[in-house]
Amino acid sequence: MKTIKSILLALVATLGLTSCTYNKLVEQEEIVAQKWADVQTQYQRRADLIPNLVNTVKGYAAHESETLEAVVNARTKATQITVDPENLTPEKLAEYQAAQGEVSQALGRLLAITENYPDLKANEQFSELQAQLEGTENRIAESRRIFNEAVQTYNTSVRKFPNNIWAMIFGFEKKTPFAAEAGAEKAPEVQF
Amino acid sequence: MKRTLSFLLTLLMTALSFADTYTVDNLPIPYLQDRTHYVSNPDGLLSQTAVDSLNLWLGEMERTHGVQTVLAVVERIEGGETYDFCMALGRKHGIGSKEQNSGLIILLSTGDRAYTILTGRGLEGTLPDAICKRIENYQMLPALREGDWDTAMLNAVRAITKYVDGDDSLVGSSDFDDSDTGALIGFILCMLLGLGIIGFAIWYDERRKSYCPSCKQYKMKKISSYTTRNKRLGIRTHHDTYRCSHCYFTKELHWDENLNSGNGAAAAGGALGGSFFGRGGGSFGGSFGGGSFGGGGASGRF
Repeated sequence: MKTIKSILLALVATLGLTSCTYNKLVEQEEIVAQKWADVQTQYQRRADLIPNLVNTVKGYAAHESETLEAVVNARTKATQITVDPENLTPEKLAEYQAAQGEVSQALGRLLAITENYPDLKANEQFSELQAQLEGTENRIAESRRIFNEAVQTYNTSVRKFPNNIWAMIFGFEKKTPFAAEAGAEKAPEVQF
Repeated sequence: MKRTLSFLLTLLMTALSFADTYTVDNLPIPYLQDRTHYVSNPDGLLSQTAVDSLNLWLGEMERTHGVQTVLAVVERIEGGETYDFCMALGRKHGIGSKEQNSGLIILLSTGDRAYTILTGRGLEGTLPDAICKRIENYQMLPALREGDWDTAMLNAVRAITKYVDGDDSLVGSSDFDDSDTGALIGFILCMLLGLGIIGFAIWYDERRKSYCPSCKQYKMKKISSYTTRNKRLGIRTHHDTYRCSHCYFTKELHWDENLNSGNGAAAAGGALGGSFFGRGGGSFGGSFGGGSFGGGGASGRF
């Protein structure tokens, strides 16, 4: 009788522990997904600003069409790539990051040439658009930082003993954070 | 000799230049000590009149709309990037309430010639980046270029107040209004606690005295007592005789009372309570609500 009781107790305790670990992993995975959504929102926000910016610059620097087109094309390419949090594989993330990095570089080139147009720089609308763009870049950086933090917390949980056993059983895999050096953070090259 | 002197001078110079460079950790936040002080002005770059006005306006903004502000004007910050500094500051203190995320950080680093208005996540709708930029370009920049820090800050806060006042979705800080009641309750609780501790100490002392070492019962009673006084030492010595009502065991207790300390415990308790919650008539330390910043706002250089 006593043995049965103790076995039952052990079983309940193990199950309790498992469900606790499992729930924790699910929770942290949800947080990663949510933070990933935030990152995408911020990138989308930047994409939404671009048409307005391009139009404003066009009014002052129409003959810089090459640079303007580069921005528009990079934007179109980047907005086509969205990644579901479920299949946030390293390859997908790299692809996403590369596409967004191209937008960053094209934008950087565009902002660099605007330096040559004093009238444009004095334009209030342009100044505010630039501020919005700057703020959006800041938001992107912040949301990426938070996403990476969430990934790190999740990865630590997945790899810790005894969580790693349960993670293996239930199929929780390590996730990839953003890499800092992959084009996105590279300063735009200015060519004269 | 000359070399030593120049070395000392260099050392002094470095010490001085370091003293002016603020990090997120050593920037004074007066708000934490006194919730009516929103302005951090450690280098004295703003005049006292400006600081008073700013404190008043920012206090009104927190009371009516729950916007919690830290405004800092310093000579130099570590790294020289006001945006990064503001983000780190917001992250460290969690400025703004958790529900509204309505924190606001305004930083001007005169030596770096840079400034940032950083809006909490909940303020990004009220003060969009473009509006922040507009405020900076029109209200701050002209004054900043002339080195008139007072006007720049006053104009900026006045403009921000206008935008915040126009947003009815922001609700005032609720704990702000009943803060006086809270302080009173805290004071009373502290006094009660102090009295309780004193009462317990007296009771415990009496019980200890009534312990009979012979029959191990608490039946000792004081049957006689007299005191002697030593004026030179300022001590009154009590000589108490106790007898157990159970086994008639008697013991004598002698203890000294310091005549100079008076009723020390109660006074200390009262003073402690007073200093914790009174703070000279209603102003006491504020706390930040854990608001978060997503990177909204605008920065610039002049």
